[in-house]
Amino acid sequence: MREDEEQQSLFRDFRVIVFIIAIFASIIFIQPGYSSEEGFTTGLNYGLDLEGGSWLQVKLQGATAQLDADAEALSGAVLRNEIGDSINIVNVNTDNEQLVVTFTTTEQLTTARMDQLGLGQSTVTRENNVTEVVFYTSKSTLITSYLSDTLKAEVIPERTDSGSIEYEIRTPVSQEDLERIMSNVGGYIVRGSDGTPIYREGVREETRDLTKDILSEKLNTLGLKDIPVRVVGDDYILIDFAGMDLATAQDIASKPGKFEIRIATQGNASRHVLYGDEIQSVGIAGYNDRDGQWYTPFTLTDAGALALQRAAIETGATTDPMSHNLIMYLDENEVYSAPLSSSAAATLSQYPIYSWQASTGGDEESRAKAEQLQIHLRAGALPVKVEIIGSGQVDASLGEQFRSQAIFAGLMTLLAVAAVVYRRYRKPEILLPMIGIVVSEVIMILGFAGAIGWQLDLPSIAGIIAVMGTGIDHLVIITDEVLYEGKLPPRKVYLARITKAFAIIFAAAATTVIAMSPLVVMGFGALKGFAITTIVGVLIGILIARPVYAKIIHSVLEASAEKAASKSE
Amino acid sequence: MELGLTERLDSFVKSHSNRQLAAIPLALFLVSVIILGITFASTGSPVQLGMEFKGGTLVSVATTQSAESLEDQFSSYPIIDARETGSRVVMQFGPMSNEEQSQLAREVTSAYTGVEIKQIGPVYGASLQKQAVIAVLLSFIGMAAVIFLIFKTFVPSGTIVFTAMSDILIAAAFMNVAGIELSLGTVAALLMLIGYSVDSNILLTTRVLKRRGTVQENISNAMQTGITMTTTTLSALIVMYVVSTYSYVVIPSFSQITLLSDISIVLIFGLVADMTNTWLLNTSILRRYVTGSGQRRRKA
Repeated sequence: MREDEEQQSLFRDFRVIVFIIAIFASIIFIQPGYSSEEGFTTGLNYGLDLEGGSWLQVKLQGATAQLDADAEALSGAVLRNEIGDSINIVNVNTDNEQLVVTFTTTEQLTTARMDQLGLGQSTVTRENNVTEVVFYTSKSTLITSYLSDTLKAEVIPERTDSGSIEYEIRTPVSQEDLERIMSNVGGYIVRGSDGTPIYREGVREETRDLTKDILSEKLNTLGLKDIPVRVVGDDYILIDFAGMDLATAQDIASKPGKFEIRIATQGNASRHVLYGDEIQSVGIAGYNDRDGQWYTPFTLTDAGALALQRAAIETGATTDPMSHNLIMYLDENEVYSAPLSSSAAATLSQYPIYSWQASTGGDEESRAKAEQLQIHLRAGALPVKVEIIGSGQVDASLGEQFRSQAIFAGLMTLLAVAAVVYRRYRKPEILLPMIGIVVSEVIMILGFAGAIGWQLDLPSIAGIIAVMGTGIDHLVIITDEVLYEGKLPPRKVYLARITKAFAIIFAAAATTVIAMSPLVVMGFGALKGFAITTIVGVLIGILIARPVYAKIIHSVLEASAEKAASKSE
Repeated sequence: MELGLTERLDSFVKSHSNRQLAAIPLALFLVSVIILGITFASTGSPVQLGMEFKGGTLVSVATTQSAESLEDQFSSYPIIDARETGSRVVMQFGPMSNEEQSQLAREVTSAYTGVEIKQIGPVYGASLQKQAVIAVLLSFIGMAAVIFLIFKTFVPSGTIVFTAMSDILIAAAFMNVAGIELSLGTVAALLMLIGYSVDSNILLTTRVLKRRGTVQENISNAMQTGITMTTTTLSALIVMYVVSTYSYVVIPSFSQITLLSDISIVLIFGLVADMTNTWLLNTSILRRYVTGSGQRRRKA
């Protein structure tokens, strides 16, 4: 009768109820099962080192800096690069941010040729075998052109919040090299208010995310849908290839896809126009106010522009664009199809067109399409140069072996702990709740891992074993505080003692959590699992499991004290 | 066994002066600092850096071939070392180009089973190194802040922080002596040591400062609990070490799990260091602190 009441009060306790719910929830998340072929199964995800597979960690190479240069030296350098050495700068006018450059040359130039350079609007006059050109441009356009010619890389200018222009250079260039390159045109790296040059290694966040999207997209088009591509730190991208060997993974990540533009001839038939290598650059998807359409800009090489012009004329697309769609394929899949605009068709009948805009429509969906196309046009070629800085492989059989061995190590550890605890207390009624609580903590950590889809890897398992160690430590502290010369102390003393015991274990847990947290925040791939399982385990332990242990050990001791009392009667 | 240990330790503490007690862990600390200093002077870092921090490639395969024959076979790559562990051979390579890298990966995967490959670029290794140092420093500062917040008095908190530092340094010196390289696993172990080391020290300090009764009684009681805690954890770690390192001797299909083996051996040594630091150093300082200015030496 008395014992029944005790039982009831135990199960009515708030903490015990939370504990029981947590255990049930964990079991649901772990989804334990058994099948005759596979033996024990769970719904837990395992990391590559336990499942088999490979991983690649790549660094995005590039630099961002704010730059300035002498307008005359700069325009001279750019024009000599683009047109030839016979350039003579007459004058350069600076009007706000606009530059008006007047130059003469012996070369024959047309407005179309100047437009193709993409430097700005221009007027061209030719007298006495000398061409005089006035063109309207800006310093940032010239710096961009100068750098991308010198470094043979894409350079993207962008206005920062403070209004100055920052250049993202998508190839590795050191601060010294950049300073030297700029000094050739009377330029320099702009210094911040504290006097340090505004230069940093690495690319913009958007570029990093674009690179990540392109990688994901590429893996998707290959039918590898579940391959996670993650951003680690500022400039690193980590790709996990479950069940794939390293050599294959490296091939997939480094080879671009096959991009092709075709033009519809008759019915479903089409003819080849050009491949992805004729696409010179791809711009950022934008919205055109004039026709209310989203579009992706791209430019073609000379050969590409001529090939497209020839194909358009030969198929009759210049006269009847509506029945001759331009169709784009990536790895044999159609990714875009649209007719030439009437103005483009008209121009093509006379001149090749270098700068194109692929319009996708006016709604939100079209915006997504334009952004998608931006990725497709790059044909899986990454916008930034990447370097593989880390990689690894564990093959499936070895992963499975690690898994069973790690579980074996965990079980043996538990047995060792049980043996030591039993030696110390020599009471099964203390040993059983203690081991039970430690096991329940492990179940709850696994349940938590299942709930958030956390991948259990070897470091995580090491973390779980480490938590078992601190868990036992804390249970020993509680037990020793509660046991008063081997017996249950009077209620008042008990309460004071248990409070003190929890003060000690909370303090110890707080330091462990604090000591582990730098690892969670920092960019270590491997140690993150260890730190997260340790922190989660310690929190589950002190908040859910260990208070229940205090409760259980109290009623167990009370019950055994009563039994002893009734025996002695 | 551990009861015997507790009793012996207890009577040892009772029968020696504070200065005598503190001398042992302080000497250990000093020796460790000297070992770390020598390593620093000769290699440029206080502990030997492993592949993850130096950069390089590690390939481990299941094979019956000898280490020497594999070293020959892969001599066209910058192979540094090959050694046998059970039914496996682990090979270490110096830095390679991306092309060489994938060539090697292809060659190994097509010819062997149970392949494990790990590659870290030297630049990335250096940045990991920097991050590891920052992580350890941050952990340590965070831990110290929590300890000072809890005890609010300088001597006891300062002692706990020093003890944790000494544990880490002794464990690191041990790594140098035993030839264990610093890997991500051992960094994790050193950080975990911070957690374990404060456990028993917080227990001791709380019991001595906040419990009624004589200092010696409280120390004996805390020792009873603390030694149980540490021996339990130690036994868990020893089992983990043996299973992850030597289980292939009994079960040939098993192989070494280097990560678990590294973590456990470093923690084992750290915990042994922690026992001397807690029960000799911290005890003597607390005893002196509580019994007053310490002019009078306690005799048992």
